[in-house]
Amino acid sequence: MVFELKNTDVSSANALRRVMIAEVPTIAIDLVEMENNTTVLNDEFLAHRLGLLPLVSTEAVAWKRPFEWSNDADMIETAFSLDVTCTVDGVMDVTSNDLVPLNPEHGVFPVNYQNPDEKPIVICKMRRGQQLKLVARARKGIGKDHAKFIPVATAVFQYKPRIVLSHSAMAEMTDEEKQIFVHSDPSKTFKFNPITRMIEVENEEAYMYDEECLVKARELGRPDLVTITQLQDHFIFRVEGTGVLRVADIVRQPLAATSVAAAAVEAPPSQN
Amino acid sequence: MDSEATDFFAATFSIEEEDHTLANSLRFFLNKNPHVSFCGYSMPHPSEELVNLRVQTTGQITAMQAVKAACEDMQQVCDHMRSTLSKAVAEFQQQEQSREQKRG
Repeated sequence: MVFELKNTDVSSANALRRVMIAEVPTIAIDLVEMENNTTVLNDEFLAHRLGLLPLVSTEAVAWKRPFEWSNDADMIETAFSLDVTCTVDGVMDVTSNDLVPLNPEHGVFPVNYQNPDEKPIVICKMRRGQQLKLVARARKGIGKDHAKFIPVATAVFQYKPRIVLSHSAMAEMTDEEKQIFVHSDPSKTFKFNPITRMIEVENEEAYMYDEECLVKARELGRPDLVTITQLQDHFIFRVEGTGVLRVADIVRQPLAATSVAAAAVEAPPSQN
Repeated sequence: MDSEATDFFAATFSIEEEDHTLANSLRFFLNKNPHVSFCGYSMPHPSEELVNLRVQTTGQITAMQAVKAACEDMQQVCDHMRSTLSKAVAEFQQQEQSREQKRG
């Protein structure tokens, strides 16, 4: 998801980014009970890999974290079993599709579980005769506890650039020089309009603040051709999810959480 | 906290279990307040989740009132962002649906 945030400052944008990464709760495998493991990977290695598997976490909001458990009605974990023996000659993949939820009514599955259009995640590979049998328990957590609970692949933001092209400088340039300038920018921010024979800004947001085009302008002898400044109150966010939660929810939850945190800071002083 | 401490015009607030996420935003909202003459925060040690927030006012409001106002502003901004985001996502999805209907 790509969205713009306007009329706020960098600390609010950074707070949003930080909470998106570290404090949005998700569900991941936290405890692995090994029964039989004759694969080439050792127990803790497999447990680590299982923990990193993304699990669909839309239920995470209703769950409680293990230390918050107070009565039998609280949901804190669900279990998966994995029981694979390799009986064919050659290499067999143990994938996320082999995880069997012991409580499918909880609604927690690996991302793209049994999806014929997507490749599953490989947990390990086995040869004939090797066996893997375990029970994995998944719990709720946040990114601060362990990186496996982070719901995003990346969450980044940049200042929106303000690009101003100087028409007087363009008038003195040849078409060839203009084309060279347009091609010098790796993010294709500019384009050459053959009808007006001018350089135009095609996509402001694509500009990555590498200064290739400025360097090129200086090389061509026209340092005043383009001026690029950063708008200090206008940000472009790029958030890429891992399928664990809907990206809109990943962005929405921090806003609620920050509001609650601000209220919490305010509340104690009034409880004098 | 004793009642005398709430009348000071300059105070350092020690906030536990918070980090730059909240502290930097609070500092920004405090700075926007015209009655605040100085505001800054620091983390005594990165391993310890503790933030010291220093607020000095011009004397027209107490430090406590300034921090409270900043917290309220932050909440309002967050709530506004939430509603704007929800609206924008709904509009975008509607556009996508109408585009798909035209294609199909």
